[in-house]
Amino acid sequence: MLDFKHTDRTRREFEALSLEHLDPLYSAALRLTKNERDAEDLVQDTFLRAFRFFDKFERGTNMKAWLFKILTNTFINRYRRRVKERTVVEGAAREQSSERFIVRETAESAVNPEQYFFDKLLSDDVLRSIDGLPIDFRLVVILADLQEFSYKEIAEILDCPVGTVMSRLYRGRKLLQKNLMSYAVEQGVLQAPRAMELGSEAEEEADVLQFKRRAGG
Amino acid sequence: MALHCRDIESFLPAYVDGEFDASERAEVESHLVDCAACQHAVRIQSAMKEAVKRAAPAVAPIELRRSVRLALRDEEPPGSRWDAVLRNPRSVGLLAAAVGAAVWFLAGGMSHPIFPRNHSGLVEDGIALHRRGLPLDYTASDVGSVQQWLAGRLDFAARVPRFRQGPALQGVRLSHLHSRPAAALSYAVPQGQRVTLLIADDPDDGDPPGSVRRLPGRQVWLSRTRGYNVVSWRTDEIVYSLISDLDESDVLQLVQAVELR
Repeated sequence: MLDFKHTDRTRREFEALSLEHLDPLYSAALRLTKNERDAEDLVQDTFLRAFRFFDKFERGTNMKAWLFKILTNTFINRYRRRVKERTVVEGAAREQSSERFIVRETAESAVNPEQYFFDKLLSDDVLRSIDGLPIDFRLVVILADLQEFSYKEIAEILDCPVGTVMSRLYRGRKLLQKNLMSYAVEQGVLQAPRAMELGSEAEEEADVLQFKRRAGG
Repeated sequence: MALHCRDIESFLPAYVDGEFDASERAEVESHLVDCAACQHAVRIQSAMKEAVKRAAPAVAPIELRRSVRLALRDEEPPGSRWDAVLRNPRSVGLLAAAVGAAVWFLAGGMSHPIFPRNHSGLVEDGIALHRRGLPLDYTASDVGSVQQWLAGRLDFAARVPRFRQGPALQGVRLSHLHSRPAAALSYAVPQGQRVTLLIADDPDDGDPPGSVRRLPGRQVWLSRTRGYNVVSWRTDEIVYSLISDLDESDVLQLVQAVELR
């Protein structure tokens, strides 16, 4: 009898702490695996593993980050091999066409052209662009933009230094922007080429690790 | 020291994400005031962040929530395996009985281990999978091509059985059940329902859950869980579980029609 009570209490506690994160875990899993079936399996596995290791979870610490750590580890160890990675940029032509853009002139776009541009993009194109990122960049974009974890939390989830999070995010967003631009051209939201430089490329990639605060001050 | 556009660019994610403290923000902003290009870049980053959030708000399917809870019900919580058993007077009694039985078993008393193992978890996961009716990975109605399709995808030798009559094979879906790869074969039966045959690798050689039924030439385990009748049998290290909401006699009849070559 006693052990049933103990078991039930642990299970109830685990469910109370973990199940509220089901939706965010699923939406991240969907972007990692790129299909619903694997996303569901990944989430289910994540919950089972988390429950098995629940005694290792320090009460009062960040449950969501802990679950995401298990999710990403499970994904990397088990599913990654199964999921094909798409190449980021599909052709030289596309790359060229995404260098410079002009927003079609309308009253709306004149006020806040960037917002107008992104509002015009189809969600599917945004998702396609995320899905097109290499896994390391996709992970940080998902964690930072979709889940709004802090860099420190992301560093803990991915077991890497904060500087690595920063540089991956910097490069990930740049790639994302480039991908989005090319969809925008396809959709006719943007005309290439000319004036407005939405997709401006730096000549060289600055080393974010040089940033003084992260580098040791 | 004044920042240049090139310095700013790589810090923009951190700035947009609110990672900077007040003095760092002030430093970035003192540059932004006079720099249209960087203002523009900041607006792009923020708009992009918003677009990502807007585009991927996925809500987990209700069935997933249910199946997670179902699966959790079967999992033992951590640290409870032995301490909970020893804390409980009733289970100490059971344990003593089990130890006695184990001694008897070691003395050659029985061909199957006496401890009930956690195979029911596999079956419950299988039921959750069956209920969700998720799309098939591979659709085919003949045993041969499904067998061939499975060959390179599982790390154990699952054999797709033939039914002498009755169920029509529709295809197969791969899954992970309790961290183990498994194949779920889907069949349509004349009664109109769907039947799932779960094939899982299970090297711990415990008995499947349920009560033993003897069929001609074979022993199976029948259990009724969450409204589904499940008949399981073992061939070497592989456990087959037929899951359906057919009634007991129908499902046993189906199993009798199985030929394992």
